[in-house]
Amino acid sequence: MHVEALKEKISFKLNGKEIEVEADPSMRLIDFLREVLGLTGTKEGCGEGECGACTVIIDGSTANSCLVLTSQIKGKELYTIEGLQKGEELHPIQQAFIDAGAVQCGFCTPGMVLSAKVLLDKQPEPAEGDIKRAISGNLCRCTGYKKIETAIKMASDYMKKDGAE
Amino acid sequence: MEQLKVVGKSELRVDAKDKVSGKAIYPADIYMENMVYGYTVRSTMPHAEIAVDKKAAEAYPGVLAVFTAEDVTGLNHHGVVFKDHEVFCSKKVRRIGEPIAFVVAETMTAAKAAAKLVNVEYKELPAVFDPIEAMKEDAPKIHGDSNILYHYKLRKGSMDEAFSKCAVVVESTYETSMVDHAFLQPEAGVAYVEEDGTITLVVATQYPHYDREEVAEALGLPHDRIKILTAAVGGAFGGREDVTVQIHLTLAAMKLNRPIKTIYTREESFEAHSKRHPMKMKYKTGALADGTLYAMEAEIVGDSGAHASWALNVLRKAGVHATGPYTIPNVKVDSYAVYTNNPFTGAMRGFGAGQVPMAYEQQIDEIAKRLNMSPIEIRLKNCFKVGSETATGQVLEESVPLTETILKAAEAMNFEAKDQSSSRKKKGKGIASIFYGTGYGNGFPDVSNARAELKADGRIYVYAGATEVGQGAKTALSQIAAEAVGVQLDAIVFINEDTSKTPDSGTAAASRQTYNTGNGIKIACEQLRLEMLELAKEVLKLNTTVGLRINNGIVEVKSLPGRNISLEALYAEAAKRGKNLKIDRTFVAHSVRMDDETGQGAPYWPYTFAAFGVEVEVDTDTGKVDVLNAVCAQDVGKAVNPMLIEGQIEGGFAMGMSWTLYEDLGLQQGKIKNNNFSNYIIPTSLDMPEIKNIIVEAPESTAPFGAKGIGEPVMIPAMPAILNAINDAVGIRITKLPASPQEIVRLLKEKQA
Repeated sequence: MHVEALKEKISFKLNGKEIEVEADPSMRLIDFLREVLGLTGTKEGCGEGECGACTVIIDGSTANSCLVLTSQIKGKELYTIEGLQKGEELHPIQQAFIDAGAVQCGFCTPGMVLSAKVLLDKQPEPAEGDIKRAISGNLCRCTGYKKIETAIKMASDYMKKDGAE
Repeated sequence: MEQLKVVGKSELRVDAKDKVSGKAIYPADIYMENMVYGYTVRSTMPHAEIAVDKKAAEAYPGVLAVFTAEDVTGLNHHGVVFKDHEVFCSKKVRRIGEPIAFVVAETMTAAKAAAKLVNVEYKELPAVFDPIEAMKEDAPKIHGDSNILYHYKLRKGSMDEAFSKCAVVVESTYETSMVDHAFLQPEAGVAYVEEDGTITLVVATQYPHYDREEVAEALGLPHDRIKILTAAVGGAFGGREDVTVQIHLTLAAMKLNRPIKTIYTREESFEAHSKRHPMKMKYKTGALADGTLYAMEAEIVGDSGAHASWALNVLRKAGVHATGPYTIPNVKVDSYAVYTNNPFTGAMRGFGAGQVPMAYEQQIDEIAKRLNMSPIEIRLKNCFKVGSETATGQVLEESVPLTETILKAAEAMNFEAKDQSSSRKKKGKGIASIFYGTGYGNGFPDVSNARAELKADGRIYVYAGATEVGQGAKTALSQIAAEAVGVQLDAIVFINEDTSKTPDSGTAAASRQTYNTGNGIKIACEQLRLEMLELAKEVLKLNTTVGLRINNGIVEVKSLPGRNISLEALYAEAAKRGKNLKIDRTFVAHSVRMDDETGQGAPYWPYTFAAFGVEVEVDTDTGKVDVLNAVCAQDVGKAVNPMLIEGQIEGGFAMGMSWTLYEDLGLQQGKIKNNNFSNYIIPTSLDMPEIKNIIVEAPESTAPFGAKGIGEPVMIPAMPAILNAINDAVGIRITKLPASPQEIVRLLKEKQA
């Protein structure tokens, strides 16, 4: 855990909005998100970057927020699970996870959804191997990953349709 | 019979939206004003007398209290069967990781720093880590006079000359491994005192009502002063049956009158909860020349570690399931549960019925090989069918589609076809069939209470203490409720999170919620429907309820839809008459206690069956095993929600495969060396094979709409099927788990020599 230190102003883009907050730069990003900003959708499963439950998106790439310090997000663009939906409307990836039955206990789900988003943003029509690789840093103990992979394929279709409209 | 409208459909999970959006609240996600933090001091020795000095820790800045055994206000113990855990160790520690003190401070940082100042003086005692050694009279004793805490005996037919009549007899010993549930959400919880003095505890648990009893007894509080709220549960698999954070948090909240939270790290989680019982199994199976299984003798020793937890029930279940799903006229089984100074073992998916297939499924394959029969043929010849008698003398009267699961699995994987193998990588196929008895068993009252109530909004509120641990209970049980009342799924409000509102529906374990609580809910909802229609008849001035239906929230005369009343209006009519449309019902599963000397009885009902087939590839240089394909044919009775079942099968297969090939606690002298995910390996997406799910339906007449529970059976066949496939590929027999690359290479070398 964390020892209190001097705070400084940190500005970055969070879930699409520029923000500036007083924060301890040496705090782990996951603690900053959960304890300071109240964004508890980011989960901690291991604290050492192995399980991926704390996955966030920093400048378009996935990162384990338990291994990132708050100082490292200065000037960056950060997305957490809370930033995906628009009001009540779920992001197509979130909807696909529901429709495909990809959710069980749900603890890995936010991280999985964000890993899927990074993949689909870069590769709108991923092959099966791409999907497996994209979520290989996210552990799930409930699903055996099959329905999560189906959900990501489904999300790719949903996003294509959304784009066509 | 009318066609089912809600049961049988892949309805979307009712809890999924909150989970995909990050809004689902797990215990660690709760922050309260004025909240303090607790951290647990745990034993570092496997067996020692202790003296605890907490003065230095108490004086640390920010520390509010350091709780130890002397502060426990009730009985300083807990335990699901025997009360052999101490809330805080008083004089002696029996394993590494036992709680000694709970340090509470203004911040977690301060609590952890102060925890280092709790001075525990250890006077080391001789320890024992091998259950066979622990059975000896001169072994160090963990509790009381003997380390043998349970012996189950199963006797059927006669063993005199039974083996001498056999054309083939195979004999070997097998050893399963101790593994962790590795649910993704480490233990956490929050407790606080409400204005009326109620202490509320928010945790992720499998059985909130039992937790409440444990807390009440340990703290000397009446039940109604404790309220347990079940937060979202990040996986359980049996590992959340024994209490961890519950008593510590409630004690601290009560004493300090401030909200308190604790969160375990992954490393602490490994030390805090139970493990799967490793079992040493000595097995001998014989068959007649035509392949008829004729005799089996087995001795099974399960390592219970330092506490009993569910050891009696697990070793009993292992003993009852020792024959596998096969008719064998002459059987002698002895299973033992033994204390050691290892981490304690308890409930884990499969619960004893999951370990024994390592032996019986490999031996049946070995017998087939020696008799020149196919693995499919020998299973079909001996497997349970309707009317078969199990080794405990229980007649399987219905819903025994094992033959169908074996045939379907064999067909789907084209079992007899052999694939080309390269010189280095060898492919092989294996099959395994299993059975699993639902419920607590052995005559123990297996009770599920449920309540159904029509409320002012015209919806049906179902109250049951059946925990949603990720398996989909909330969705599947809502479907059963909707079907029984005759309404759509969205007309059901399912409440299972609060012990002050819900009746006790038993634990979310033993694959029992669909069957047991499903039945309780079904009969409550059916009665509610009757009473609703009766009132509608009165209000609508009809002569009978016959011909009434509920359609889209309206009770109407089928042939005259204009004659109707909405459910909201019906509620108002009931209220006007001072009548509650609220029904409580109880379902008790049938189970007949077994004889102590012979093990004869009808311990479980219903039994669920499965047959999985797998194809593996074994790298003969490195020993690495890749599972290429899996076919999972699963009996479900009746599928309440096919998509949920598929999710269970796929996850169950992954867990079984992981146990077989990867997981290793690195246990040394009672110490878990592999206590995080960098060295405790569970599968990633890249490790998983293709999985073909085959749902086999054979409705069970005592089950809700015919549905049986499948949470555990879906993982059991994976391990033996993989082991049989490895044998098919390279001709070695795995007798010790995990089937790690090193073990495979060792056995290949041994075979060559």
